[in-house]
Amino acid sequence: MQNVLNGIPLWWYLVVSSALFCIGLYGTLARKNAIALLMGVELMLNAANINLLAFWRYLAPDTAGGLAFAAFVLVIAAAEAAVGLALVISVYRTTRSIDPEALDQMKL
Amino acid sequence: MTVQQVLFIVISLVVLGAALFVVTTRNLFRAALMMILAFFGIAGLFVLLEIGLFAVAQVLIYIGAISILVIFAVMLTRGMQGMVPRNSQAVGAAVTAAIIFAVLLLILGPLRVTVDLARWPVISLFAGNASPREVGGIAWTPANQAIPPVPETYISDFGRALVDLNQYLLPFLLIAFLVDVVLAGAIFIARQRRPAEVIEERQLRAEEDAEEAEAMRRASAPSALPEGAVASAADH
Amino acid sequence: MNPINDLLRILSDFVAGIIGSIFSFSPFLADLVTMGLAALILCTFAALSFMGLTYVERKVVARIQDRLGPNQAGPLGLLQPLADGIKMFTKEDTTPANADRWVYNLAPLVIAIFALTTYAVLPFAPGVVGTNLNVGAFYLIAIGSGSIVAILMAGWGSNNKYALLGAFRTVAQLVGYEVPMLLNVLPVVMMAGSMSLVDIIHKQTTLDGNPGIPFIVFFPLSALVFLISGIAETGRSPFDLLEAESEIVAGFHVEYSGMKFALFFLGEYVNALAVAFVFSTFFLGGYAGPILPPYIWLLLKAAFIFFIFMWLRGTLPRIRIDQMHNLNWKFFVPVSIVHLVVVMVLMKLFVTSPAQAQAVGGILVTPIAQAVILFIASMTILLVSLAIAAQRARALRLQEEAILERRRAENLAAVGA
Repeated sequence: MQNVLNGIPLWWYLVVSSALFCIGLYGTLARKNAIALLMGVELMLNAANINLLAFWRYLAPDTAGGLAFAAFVLVIAAAEAAVGLALVISVYRTTRSIDPEALDQMKL
Repeated sequence: MTVQQVLFIVISLVVLGAALFVVTTRNLFRAALMMILAFFGIAGLFVLLEIGLFAVAQVLIYIGAISILVIFAVMLTRGMQGMVPRNSQAVGAAVTAAIIFAVLLLILGPLRVTVDLARWPVISLFAGNASPREVGGIAWTPANQAIPPVPETYISDFGRALVDLNQYLLPFLLIAFLVDVVLAGAIFIARQRRPAEVIEERQLRAEEDAEEAEAMRRASAPSALPEGAVASAADH
Repeated sequence: MNPINDLLRILSDFVAGIIGSIFSFSPFLADLVTMGLAALILCTFAALSFMGLTYVERKVVARIQDRLGPNQAGPLGLLQPLADGIKMFTKEDTTPANADRWVYNLAPLVIAIFALTTYAVLPFAPGVVGTNLNVGAFYLIAIGSGSIVAILMAGWGSNNKYALLGAFRTVAQLVGYEVPMLLNVLPVVMMAGSMSLVDIIHKQTTLDGNPGIPFIVFFPLSALVFLISGIAETGRSPFDLLEAESEIVAGFHVEYSGMKFALFFLGEYVNALAVAFVFSTFFLGGYAGPILPPYIWLLLKAAFIFFIFMWLRGTLPRIRIDQMHNLNWKFFVPVSIVHLVVVMVLMKLFVTSPAQAQAVGGILVTPIAQAVILFIASMTILLVSLAIAAQRARALRLQEEAILERRRAENLAAVGA
């Protein structure tokens, strides 16, 4: 069908990254704990990274665009995890709960 | 079946299994550990893609920093004692995820579906060309064309692209600025509280603990409470 | 090929040839078995050196403390590691109540695995290296950060508040000291032009027109900060607050006994030896040396660095946790960043090859002149920062003494009145 790299066609990587993305999506939407939510978001970002790098490898490995994009996604994921977790801890200190559904007011 | 194919299947199963465990388990610490296993698997996938730099960067950043952050947050917010229940929208989330997975398989994967718009009652009114056609199964890599190898100097090329004015210098500087802001922001959010705030937090905690003790006492002796005791407890 | 110099390579070719002929029906299996055997040999080397190192360390530290050290088990106490091993094996293997059994039992295994994986990229002789990763330096730091997770597993799996607290403090120290390590590996990588360990050593030899100057001459400040960060990363004295008996009762491995504790112990020593090897590779030139065979040079250099570790352990008192964090974040990180920027600028200004001079527009100097310039810059930054730190410490101490004096005077007045 398509071209293979060591016997692995591109769509295998894409299927894996889609599955990982959807698992992360379910984890983000269906959990009652802010930290579990953030874990789902990290899974989604990793799935996007796999997708980017697979496409880079199979279609244009002599350019640097895919690598740059993936590096930026990596850095932004780290930054977002740091800020998100700092916020969760800070909210926990004042309200003693990390249920995102309970935080529905603008005032703590 | 080449070795890489077998390796790929094994690593993918590990990654997806660990991810499923992360989103379905009720024990937050186990979820964090399984997330670390998933990240290791993804690093293995990057090695199969012949990108050593990103495999090592994945281990360093995700496992060495983000996972530790998550475990610290879990321990600091007492996630260990409670279990993580499911949301009220868990079923809807599962259905949405399944639908999106199907759509992504159509776009990215080998799934091919024959769509005959003429058979759908309302949509056929809006469809212009209503003949049955195939959707999906797009060949992203052109057939009969060799995949170019990764150049030996891909790391230094990547580094040079990040500081080249014509390439990715601007996003690189923006990301650096973003990381600076995140550093300052995280330190500010987690800073030492002023005395007034500390007193406020302590009061809140004392009230919470009193409520918990009350609830535990009531749970252990449910039948023997006269009306007066309940009223006097509510008064406090 | 000189047989003594290339002994390791001759042996490895011989063994690879034998395995290749046994498994000639499938080259993949031949490769797999060869690599498996190499991994086994590396792990055995690490474990045997662990045994020898415990004995040597106890002897050296004892001599520094003006006593004899182990001398009862066998002649000169040489069978002491064997006695220790027998003791560890025969201890009761307990598991705390309500502990998470999987996590509790996996933690020492994971630490030992990560400690041993660092040996896979170290070059022991020209052409004798487990795998010549082209991101070798980066890989070493990533493996160091991977072992931190195992410490959290150990702390949580013990179901013990003190273990958890100890694990937190350990992780804070280890994560903190990774930053100066990474910042100080960068000048080495910049100078060598590649992250591969073989290339880094190659740049410090006299082959291919390289000047043969070890990088410690170029970047003494980097070497010093990397060494101290390495000691902090392995949790050795004077940074051993995390497992101190009098402070936190052995920290995160308080609930472990017997073979599992032996694995933690092995992890610590194997890590320390790995740091010694890595320092020799980055800053002292690895296996490069004039007369002796290359592997002897590497072992000599690593042994010297390990002797410095033992010397520091016997001499310095334990450092307090706030002193340790202050040292890291307020001294090492700013100094490393300033040093990195200065080195970057100087390396672009003073280049050594005409092609670079044309491309980048720098001043062409000989390699020795470049080494001297970088050495002077590095030492200047080091001495200036030490002077600033000493001045600040003196000012703080005078302030504290003034407060104490005032309090003493108040007390005297209160007592007298």
